[in-house]
Amino acid sequence: MIVKGIYNNFKRYWFLMTQLISRDFKVKYKRSVLGVVWSLLYPILMMTVMAIVFSQMFKFKVEGINYLVYLMTGIIMFNYFSEASHAAMTSVVENFLLINKVYIPKYIFPIAKCMFVGINFLLTLIPWLGVVALSHVGLGEYVCHFNWYYLLLPYVFFCFFLFTVGVGLFLSCVSVFLRDVFYIYGIILTMWNYLTPVFYSIEILPEKLQFLMQFNPLFQFLNTTRLIVVYEQAPSLVTLGILGAIGVVTLLFGAFIFRKNQDKFIYYV
Amino acid sequence: MINIEHVSMRFNLGIEKEFSIKQAFVNFLSPKERKKRKKKEEFWALKDVSFNVEKGEVVGLIGSNGAGKSTLLKVVSGVMKPTKGKVTVKGVISPMIELGAGFDGNLTARENIFLNGAILGYSKKFLTEKFDDIVEFSELKDFLDVPVKNFSSGMVAKLAFSIATIVNPEILIVDEILAVGDIKFQEKSKKKMMELIKGGTTVLYVSHSLDSIRDLCTKVVWLDHGEIVEMGKTNKICDDYYKEQLS
Repeated sequence: MIVKGIYNNFKRYWFLMTQLISRDFKVKYKRSVLGVVWSLLYPILMMTVMAIVFSQMFKFKVEGINYLVYLMTGIIMFNYFSEASHAAMTSVVENFLLINKVYIPKYIFPIAKCMFVGINFLLTLIPWLGVVALSHVGLGEYVCHFNWYYLLLPYVFFCFFLFTVGVGLFLSCVSVFLRDVFYIYGIILTMWNYLTPVFYSIEILPEKLQFLMQFNPLFQFLNTTRLIVVYEQAPSLVTLGILGAIGVVTLLFGAFIFRKNQDKFIYYV
Repeated sequence: MINIEHVSMRFNLGIEKEFSIKQAFVNFLSPKERKKRKKKEEFWALKDVSFNVEKGEVVGLIGSNGAGKSTLLKVVSGVMKPTKGKVTVKGVISPMIELGAGFDGNLTARENIFLNGAILGYSKKFLTEKFDDIVEFSELKDFLDVPVKNFSSGMVAKLAFSIATIVNPEILIVDEILAVGDIKFQEKSKKKMMELIKGGTTVLYVSHSLDSIRDLCTKVVWLDHGEIVEMGKTNKICDDYYKEQLS
């Protein structure tokens, strides 16, 4: 019953969702000559800068693997999470004018943002796969072979998406009542960036921290992707189960908080 | 079609203050004071309002500014949940509370027609079919690919009106929007509204113009300070209201 209700609701507002997403795309690339090419170019340039900084200046290295692919995987995944959750957080407050005038299910705004950034993320996978392919001709010291485990990546990314939507729903709800969250979350994201092995390897940490890192959901997602792409190994069923659980539980938690409070949003316009 | 049962709506006027550190400190020191203040800052925009709207009825809402007319429309259209009471609506509502609320200035008129249409709940198929009608009615054919931020306010209103009135809704909620654009367009939009209203739809209509209320409505509800003063036959209520306003 509930599932059917949610499905019908989704179907009814799907057109609005696509309109909101295409609005974001149009606004983002308005007046830029290269337009959507930036979605491909930006991560490449970003990655080049980071690669030079970390592997040449700081001499970062992870023994036995292709550090470039390792780094780029971390960057594009962390960027997806930070951009999507941040955009989702502000989405409800930004659309107050609309919420105050017309009835629209409010969850649509954070979800549309996560999907918009998600499409961008999928585009960044193209240069990412390009770098993996180039490792065969000597980019980075080690070769990353394409393998069958890649078929698990959509599942990993989907769980990652659910997790992000959950966080986004939660943040967008809290920020309605407490605008301070905008600033606090900016700081949290910076901290989270350094507390997640985006550009370093978990092995350089003391053992205690390595254990604690298991509780960082972002680490779990990054680690599994790298296991497949960089280490060319199959993730265990337990790991895949954990990823699914993180995604679903976070989503349910965010949706629960959002649903419980959404009728009160209107008073905090 | 619309059932409004004992609806009350409470607003908290002090909500802006509630979340500052200063206020938290004061609250911490004297919780009693807080309760008292909260009571004082309560504002009831609607108090125990009940009435029914049958299918095909055109119901006018009158009352001075701040009487709760717009709040009532928002409650009926689902934007706000009532604090107490219940609203049941059977049928699809087309709210014309504020025109052009969903426009994005960076997008062109063409893109905004689809975005705004989606916000109003139209389907993609419907919009594609009616696209030409919307453009023709708005008289903005030459400006279709211009970003809306470069439009004059009259042009924006024309476009918004054209999108909002393209449907044949089951229930129409109108908050005084008749007079938009230049004289020619005003006449045209008035005619369109009349067509919609007289086309057998159920209408909730807010206006300060008693003439148009007398002209259109089959029933009138007079609100004051959130309470129903009187409701019933159009002419009687309008006469009573007019007398009271002048005295």
